[in-house]
Amino acid sequence: MSDGCRKAESGAQLLARLEGRTSLKNLEPCLFAEEGFPIHGAVIEFHGPEGTGKTEMLYHVIARCVLPKAGGGLEVEVMFIDTDYHFDMLRLVTILEHRLSQSTEEMIKQCLGRLFLVNCNSSTQLLLTLYSLENKFCAHPSLCLVILDSVSAFYWIDRSNGGESVNMQEMNLKRCVEFLEKLVREHHLAVFATTQRIMQKSSNSTESSIPLKLQCEADIEYRPYLCKSWQQMVTHRIFFSKQCNSGSSKTFSVVSCHTKKNHIIQCSFSVAECGVQF
Amino acid sequence: MFLAVVELVASDLEEVARKCSLSYKALVALRRVLLAQFSAFPVNGADLYEDLKNSTAILSTGSKSLDKLLDSGLYTGEVTELTGGPGSGKTQLCLSIAMSVSHGLQQNVLYIDSTGAFTASRLLQLAQTRTEDEEEQVSALQRIQVARVFDIYKMLDVLQELRCSVSQQVMSNFGPVKALVVDSVSAVIYPLLGGRQVEGLALMMQLARDLKTLARELSMAVVVTNHVTRDGSSGHLKPALGRSWSFVPSTRVLLESREGTGGKASTNRVASLIKSPRQPTGIQVELDIGSSGELEKKPAASGEGC
Repeated sequence: MSDGCRKAESGAQLLARLEGRTSLKNLEPCLFAEEGFPIHGAVIEFHGPEGTGKTEMLYHVIARCVLPKAGGGLEVEVMFIDTDYHFDMLRLVTILEHRLSQSTEEMIKQCLGRLFLVNCNSSTQLLLTLYSLENKFCAHPSLCLVILDSVSAFYWIDRSNGGESVNMQEMNLKRCVEFLEKLVREHHLAVFATTQRIMQKSSNSTESSIPLKLQCEADIEYRPYLCKSWQQMVTHRIFFSKQCNSGSSKTFSVVSCHTKKNHIIQCSFSVAECGVQF
Repeated sequence: MFLAVVELVASDLEEVARKCSLSYKALVALRRVLLAQFSAFPVNGADLYEDLKNSTAILSTGSKSLDKLLDSGLYTGEVTELTGGPGSGKTQLCLSIAMSVSHGLQQNVLYIDSTGAFTASRLLQLAQTRTEDEEEQVSALQRIQVARVFDIYKMLDVLQELRCSVSQQVMSNFGPVKALVVDSVSAVIYPLLGGRQVEGLALMMQLARDLKTLARELSMAVVVTNHVTRDGSSGHLKPALGRSWSFVPSTRVLLESREGTGGKASTNRVASLIKSPRQPTGIQVELDIGSSGELEKKPAASGEGC
């Protein structure tokens, strides 16, 4: 497609596509090292085991985006692609209620109006949905963030369906990633995606994006298992872990790595009724 | 055939048009139709919120302390997992939840029993403690539909049937199901995890996917039970079925029985919340599962029964 279709774009659409996206610079400084804040085109991966605050952090990011400028938000639109049936709207509403100075029903709805949700049930459907979303990005210039929760949802099912051939196993995800890359590039989007830690670290892991010293310090156990094109597309990788000592109130911690520049920052946060607190 | 859809959508239509000598216009139209048919449609958050406000229900489990642990009960649209070793009270809790939804809330329950642990007489006992009116007892029991399965394929079939019956509205004598109890998922998944692991894990994730979509689409509460294993390093009990499954339930409750201090009749059961989208994890409550069947907070009830 592409070439033929792109010609059909009107001048207004082109402008909207390229000029209209709001900066995401102030999205969440705590998560990104200096100069490493998410510009358009950034692909940020949240990685960690169950119960380490990935989903809460996504709610935090969504809340930051959809809250009005007057309330300290960015007032931009978000597309949430839910492949795990994991998204809890009522939880998001609770967080928004806590962060709005006057949380009227009307205000909440205005905020939620900036959020779009789509559920995908298979990697094929995910791919086709990504294709169909292209028009949406053209039509909504303030839609500048895509959240994909999670990229690893179809991993086992795809592996089993693909038979013996690794290429077949990874085919759909690879296509999804390639098309997502194109969307990100052409529409100046940023992507947040989660990957679940479902693999144990192999004993001889030579391939790693983070220095070994830090790996030991932060007790990061990372083993890339998704297709190569995904690994290459990621610009920031953020590792989530839970601290066992109950003494400190900040129970969750993240290590944020810029995969290209080698910036690394560490911080911890807690989760309360009102969401993530740094 | 479906592969072809993906391929056509992904391909360069100009090239296809040249190769197949079809008109480019027709191909673009075809592509649009295919995308409309097979892709998922995005919903606006405000609309979804409006829908959820009308459809979400919180079902009481019949136990005040468990309700407290779960932030007032089982939420529809979610999968809640009860996990614990043998004799920790998983099945008793499932039966009690089924009865609470059926009698207390007058809603239908589908109970999938994969271990053979389901006993109708116990359910009747539970009904009897709730009411003395026999008709009420009968109708409460009638609202609980039981499916016995012994492997994952049969379980997937039962879930498929449930989905079909709802979409075709053939359930004339049995209305919409509000709660689905699966006791237990580990019993059907365990046999798959030896040998050819990928296939087994894929089936497990397919079951997980079905349970979650049913919970969402039919807006019902799903309760599953799971076994426990001991964590290799810390020695603490943790839910079985490994990492991939750990992402499936929204809420996880660990049940443990502790030796009672009050004598032989009472085994204290402690339920602790280990995962929740709403509540802080780590909170614990005591449960008492007496023969009276009423799951109630311990102190008053310990003398009764047996």
